[in-house]
Amino acid sequence: MASSFEPKILVLATVACAYPGADAVGKAHLEYPANISVFRVPSPVLFPEDFYLRSYARGVDGIIIAACGSDCPYHNAYPKLAARIDALVKKMKTGGLEIERMRITAICTVCIKAFLKEVNEMDQRLRKIGPVNRDTAAKLWEDSRRGMCAGLNLPAIRRPEPVPVFA
Amino acid sequence: MIKETAQPQAASEEPRIGVYICRCGGNISDVVDVEAVATAMQGVAGVVAAKVNTFMCSDPGQALIAEDIRNERLNRVVVASCSPFLHELTFRTAVNRGGLNPYLYEHVNIREQGSWAHHSDPAGATSKALRMISAAVGKLRHAEPLDRIRLSNNRQALVLGGGIAGLKAAAELAGKGIPVILVESSSSLGGRVASLNEVYPTETDASDLVKKLAAQVMNHPLVRVYSQARLAALSGFLGNFDITIAVEPKAEAGPAPGVPLPKPAKAEEVRAAVGAVIIATGFDPYAPRDGEFGHGGPQVTTLPEFIRELRGRRNGELQWNGRPVRSVGFLHCVGSRQIEGVHAPQADGKVNDYCSRTCCTAILQQALDVKRRFPQVNVYDFHQDIRTYGRGHEDYYRNASTAGVVFLRYHGDEPPAVGPGTNGASLTVRVKDWLTFGEEVDVPLDLLVLGVGMMPRNIRDLIELMKLPVGADRFLQEVHPKLRPVEVSVNGVLLAGTAQGPMNIEETLAAASAAASKASILLGRESVELDPFVAEVDADQCIGCERCFPECAYTGALVAEAATVNGQAVKKARVNPGLCVGCGACVAVCPTRAIDLKGWTLSQFDAMVDGLVAGVPGVELKGREHARQTH
Ligand SMILES: Cc1cc2nc3c(=O)[nH]c(=O)nc-3n(C[C@H](O)[C@H](O)[C@H](O)COP(=O)(O)OP(=O)(O)OC[C@H]3O[C@@H](n4cnc5c(N)ncnc54)[C@H](O)[C@@H]3O)c2cc1C
Ligand code: SF4
Ligand code: SF4
Repeated sequence: MASSFEPKILVLATVACAYPGADAVGKAHLEYPANISVFRVPSPVLFPEDFYLRSYARGVDGIIIAACGSDCPYHNAYPKLAARIDALVKKMKTGGLEIERMRITAICTVCIKAFLKEVNEMDQRLRKIGPVNRDTAAKLWEDSRRGMCAGLNLPAIRRPEPVPVFA
Repeated sequence: MIKETAQPQAASEEPRIGVYICRCGGNISDVVDVEAVATAMQGVAGVVAAKVNTFMCSDPGQALIAEDIRNERLNRVVVASCSPFLHELTFRTAVNRGGLNPYLYEHVNIREQGSWAHHSDPAGATSKALRMISAAVGKLRHAEPLDRIRLSNNRQALVLGGGIAGLKAAAELAGKGIPVILVESSSSLGGRVASLNEVYPTETDASDLVKKLAAQVMNHPLVRVYSQARLAALSGFLGNFDITIAVEPKAEAGPAPGVPLPKPAKAEEVRAAVGAVIIATGFDPYAPRDGEFGHGGPQVTTLPEFIRELRGRRNGELQWNGRPVRSVGFLHCVGSRQIEGVHAPQADGKVNDYCSRTCCTAILQQALDVKRRFPQVNVYDFHQDIRTYGRGHEDYYRNASTAGVVFLRYHGDEPPAVGPGTNGASLTVRVKDWLTFGEEVDVPLDLLVLGVGMMPRNIRDLIELMKLPVGADRFLQEVHPKLRPVEVSVNGVLLAGTAQGPMNIEETLAAASAAASKASILLGRESVELDPFVAEVDADQCIGCERCFPECAYTGALVAEAATVNGQAVKKARVNPGLCVGCGACVAVCPTRAIDLKGWTLSQFDAMVDGLVAGVPGVELKGREHARQTH
């Protein structure tokens, strides 16, 4: 892969743990690549798998779920999240999307080293494997939306819209 | 009862967005080309104003937002500045002052996660700032004005546990005029401190301390104390907890230490309504397994037992089990700072890898005390490290050394071994001593005192009942160790003392005061207001598939409502905003996206992703050359 490829990496960081952890890295004036961006989330357990697949279809090359792990402030949310990501990764594998694009980890409020390690490793991995195949992701996304609506047999269900091509 | 507060609203009209980019006095603008970002944002659909300011958080900076809301008729605002933990609330308030709903605001972090993290890549930092701002603009396009949640308030508190933490919290609340129900499982007040003698670092008599605190509580007309009682049921939410207390009198073997409570006349169930709960259930001393460092043998004891036994023994000869003690050893870190593979795991398969914090000073206090009362006794101290971290604690270390306590230092992965004694000694401690560079030393002892650490008290029933978060160390877990140190994720539930983790008396009392203040703030109001970030169901979109119900771990947060969809009777979901904690576990499974977290909806996240990957189409940014040179 040409070294000029800049992967777009999204970190979904929990309000209680990983987001302050990412702040701590900046406060220490330690650097990581600027193609890594962090979104604050209450708990990543809220995302259905089609959110991740849609993100890949939109051109996000890699996602790191930076959760609280066993320090999660919500009852039972972490095991549930882990199970959901497990299922997603299986679908990515069979659907032809590199599973290296998804990483789930726990980052605490002061876990500076862990944060840097995770984002740098993701960056290096993606620079090797190259940009995400957006068509593959879009297909998986459609399958996932259909799967979610399957068996409900109710006309109220909207068919998934095709992923528009964006910039 | 849930009422919604009236907030200034803005209809879901065409977005007119104001974007403000802060220089942070150079902290941001030395790296990020803020002017270029503003210029680029001016070209984005829906953005009416995009401005740069040196200190957005200053009064003029905040006033600028309010002015533009009025003059430019802004209905959404973005500020790109420092971390949201610092100033998100500042700007929400500023937006509200300008007459706009405070939740039509988005905060973008371009300092901690921008200029400071990418200072040698100004071009990258600038492009990232632009992407993150366009993500926020995307999110705001889907934003709706939100109302804070308002709950009526039962202005009474429940305190669980009558140790020093619970006593202190109850006394402070009552002192502020707030009625308190105190539930204590044993038949006396004072908890573990009641079994101590003089306590470090003040050498105050522990029973005096307990008596004083207990008197403040027992004599206060606003405090009701239930002894031999437990919390049997709890439902509801902040301001509105319905509780049931089960009083279960049982015969007790001998008088318990502490201030005795009147024996309850009969078993009964008491129901009450409270607005806040303080958990002060304390700790258990670590219980060593049989054979662990000789535990179970006649001349091996634990620190709490040793302290209890020595109560009142002033002078003469130190004896243990009728045998004169010529040499005593204190072993630090028993049940604390355990290492996987070296120490046997606890019942749950994990080792106690935390430091119990109070044992080092408690051991040195006892070691010094033995040396002073019984000067002829040899005292040995086996430690990994000496952690006398508090004010006045180091004196115990210094004085113990001066008084002739012999210190030996082991490494955590090679703990001392306890074996049979020779030449009349009861036992031998073999230790690889790192103060003498790894020499193996056999220390003959007549008594070994195990400096046991703290374990969380077994309160599994409360954890289940109240859905309390537990840390990796199994102690109860606060929302944030620095920003919200005595709150848990369940609104209205607060932590006091060692239920949260190892603390000494000073720290316990400070935590109890903090919890009491926090509770009195919550209970001081007629009603309670909460951030609106809870789940909400769009009833039109809900098809009644019931997939969300089993996902929710909070009883009563999701309510089933009978409805008809396509002629079929179904149960649609509705959220009780007082009980929903906003975890979002339900959101992920809804096939129609009918259920969403307010302020964090899936379409908002989708829009953020779009903004992030697209940035501002057509804009190519280069970092400023001079910015590179300043670093
Ligand atoms: C050996 C030793 C020596 C120490 N020496 C010192 C010292 O010299 N100086 C110092 O500053 N600190 C010292 N400490 C620390 C001190 O003991 C603690 O800081 C203090 O006991 C903490 O008080 P607490 O109220 O949090 O918990 P606790 O003392 O454990 O009290 C908890 C109370 O809650 C009750 N309870 C438990 N579960 C329930 C339930 N489910 N429902 C209702 N009630 C319940 C218990 O019966 C008890 O009354 C020492 C600790 C040890 C182990
Ligand atoms: S957000 Fe969490 S607490 Fe609220 S209803 Fe959904 S699952 Fe229950
Ligand atoms: S999962 Fe969605 S559609 Fe099904 S009951 Fe819950 S809110 Fe309604």
